[in-house]
Amino acid sequence: MTTLAASPNLVLPGPPSALRNTMTLARRELRDAVRSRWFFLYTLAFTVLGLAVSFVSAAGTGGSGLSGFGRTTAGLVNLVLLVVPLMALSAGAASIASDRERGMLSYLFAQPINRSELLLGKFLGLAAALLASISLGLGACALILAWKGLRTNPQSMFWLCGLAFLLALGMLSVGMLISTLARRASVAVGTAIFVWLMLVFVSDLALMAGAVALRLRIETLFAVSLVNPLQVFKMWSLHAVDANLDVLGPAGLYAVEEYGSLLHAIFAGCMVVWVLVPLTLASVVLSRRSPL
Amino acid sequence: MNTSSPVLPLTVLLACSAAPALQPDHEAPAPGPRAAEDVPRQLGEIGRLLEAAPPGATVLVQPGVYREHLRITRPVTLVANGAVVIDGGGSGDIIEIAAPGVTLRGFTIRNTGIDLDKENAAIRVLAPRAVIRDNIVDDVLFGIDLREAPDSLVANNRIGGKDLDIARRGDGLRLWRSDRTTVEDNVIHDGRDAILWYSKGVIVRRNTGHDCRYGLHLMFSDDVTISDNEFTRNSVGIYLMYSTGVEINGNRLIQNRGPSGYGLGLKETDRFVVRGNLMVGNRSGIYIDGSPFSPDVPGEFTANTIAGNDIGVTFLPSARGNLLHANNFIDNFNQVAVAGRGNLDANQFWKGDSGNFWSDYTGYDQNRDGVGDFVHESATLFEDLMDREPSLRLFLFSPAQQAVEFVGRAVPAVRPEPKFTDEVPLMRPVPVAALPTGGSPARIPLAAGGALLVTLGGSLLGLARDPAVRPAHGGVR
Repeated sequence: MTTLAASPNLVLPGPPSALRNTMTLARRELRDAVRSRWFFLYTLAFTVLGLAVSFVSAAGTGGSGLSGFGRTTAGLVNLVLLVVPLMALSAGAASIASDRERGMLSYLFAQPINRSELLLGKFLGLAAALLASISLGLGACALILAWKGLRTNPQSMFWLCGLAFLLALGMLSVGMLISTLARRASVAVGTAIFVWLMLVFVSDLALMAGAVALRLRIETLFAVSLVNPLQVFKMWSLHAVDANLDVLGPAGLYAVEEYGSLLHAIFAGCMVVWVLVPLTLASVVLSRRSPL
Repeated sequence: MNTSSPVLPLTVLLACSAAPALQPDHEAPAPGPRAAEDVPRQLGEIGRLLEAAPPGATVLVQPGVYREHLRITRPVTLVANGAVVIDGGGSGDIIEIAAPGVTLRGFTIRNTGIDLDKENAAIRVLAPRAVIRDNIVDDVLFGIDLREAPDSLVANNRIGGKDLDIARRGDGLRLWRSDRTTVEDNVIHDGRDAILWYSKGVIVRRNTGHDCRYGLHLMFSDDVTISDNEFTRNSVGIYLMYSTGVEINGNRLIQNRGPSGYGLGLKETDRFVVRGNLMVGNRSGIYIDGSPFSPDVPGEFTANTIAGNDIGVTFLPSARGNLLHANNFIDNFNQVAVAGRGNLDANQFWKGDSGNFWSDYTGYDQNRDGVGDFVHESATLFEDLMDREPSLRLFLFSPAQQAVEFVGRAVPAVRPEPKFTDEVPLMRPVPVAALPTGGSPARIPLAAGGALLVTLGGSLLGLARDPAVRPAHGGVR
């Protein structure tokens, strides 16, 4: 972020435009993100774990090449569920809060740019960095799987990549909301990790316990699970790859039979809500708060 | 597998009756080389040919579209001499064979009625020793229906059902009290079932069935051999009910995912051997309900590859006395399930020093004898929970599921009773028999897709290095 301060071409020549400002900020954010350690480490971890999953699922078939995409997808979906939200949440959480901590935020607010442009610029820059990380990781997995001769089609890989990106956007947006609310970067990142823990483990485990203890009906179970963006991502990727959800048992069967082709729209709606609502809230908070 | 004995007398018979086919004694006027659809035919033309033919004659039918319903009452050989279409006009049965020893070869037979009560069929056989081969049967309610037609041969036909709701379809192939019949090299699609009723000693081999309800269904049919067939995308691949002495060898049962969705279902079946089959991507690879029915002979499953199914093998609590050895259990989401809980103590998962290959086996083989040094116990907490509460499948493939599994492994207090044990798990898969014929690995597109993704990521990184946004005067670092 520091380079921005000294850069004379923050405001490019020509008539000032919101889009131009946003794009400039986005590019800076992307560049800073790519240079940062978190990006490198997360990308490395994601890629290495993804390759491990691919190798293991290719080896599990004993060279028969029989494993459908099912097992591999399941492994990769699992990996995305663990790593991508953590990556996106912490990146989002660090963004505004660390600027505030370093006093950058007041400097930026003094520039002739709108606060929501600032937020959007940062969001887009980080989103691009996350997209790079995800596509590098999953692309490498696809190459490995192809090399190992698994009978799969590339569409499922594209679906997985796109949906992981969508999940990353939602989590980034939540992270940025946390970031605008927190006073210090460490608090923001801590909160983000807590939220990650809640979404990845606690909510699912609680829902499992609830399903067993309260004997939740499958309609209720499915509806409640739509609240968790991670569950939505999981169900959507399985649905997209397999065109049905019967792998997920009665609740999945119910979902497909009840909603059929509407299911894509439902999942998309849930994800879009998770992207837009926190980002809008963050924008509101940012415009009301003092930069200090 | 002894396939030849019931067929041999039949083939000899065929050879004798085929000899006069060289000099066709009854022949319709030749219309020259024109497509079947171009040639209008008089009503009842084949019927008149048949009336004129003496028993044992060979009747050649010239190309054309014939709109008629035939009843064959003499033992003749009826051969299509080119593209002969017999169109039922959407009503009733089309060909009824009422004399023994009739051969019907090379016709295209289409468009029966849709009356399920009358069971409208393209070819109905009411007499023994019929030979139905090389026909294309399309747009029909019932395809080939053998009623009390023992010692028949149904070979190399292609049978397609009408585009109807499954409840309104008929059976592509049905054998009713037709012992010692051979059914081979047929393709049956979009029908209800291919079904054997009360037919002993039938051989079913090298057939393909897809998009039906049951790819092959046995009811009270004993001593049947089912080998080298492929059943894909049916509700159930092969379903055996109340039959005794069935051999199931080298079949490929793939992606059968209907409401029941079994690759192979066995209901109260006795003296069966399931060997060298491939079950991939079904809802449940094998489903065992009350089989073997009498406890004296174990049901044997060996050299099968059960891979990528939601559940590898489902046992109902009534399933006792099965012996599973030298099979591959590869990456089924749930390798072995007991419907309605319970354990599998009455079934055995190894024989001598050969167990099964389990892709989820976690042990190792220090003495390198090919057998894992620890028993394979299937006792995962999440599977146990899923058996108890099926709706929990919703949480499959999530980190939370793995957390539960971890707790199940780490905390003995919550570790479930093992469902079964394999004392001598194999370290390497047994050779996979019956690999699917078509569908080479889609390497190139996947590799291209991967390369595309990597390029996308790389170019985004490149964008970050774009000199246009590099600070002109150097930034403060």
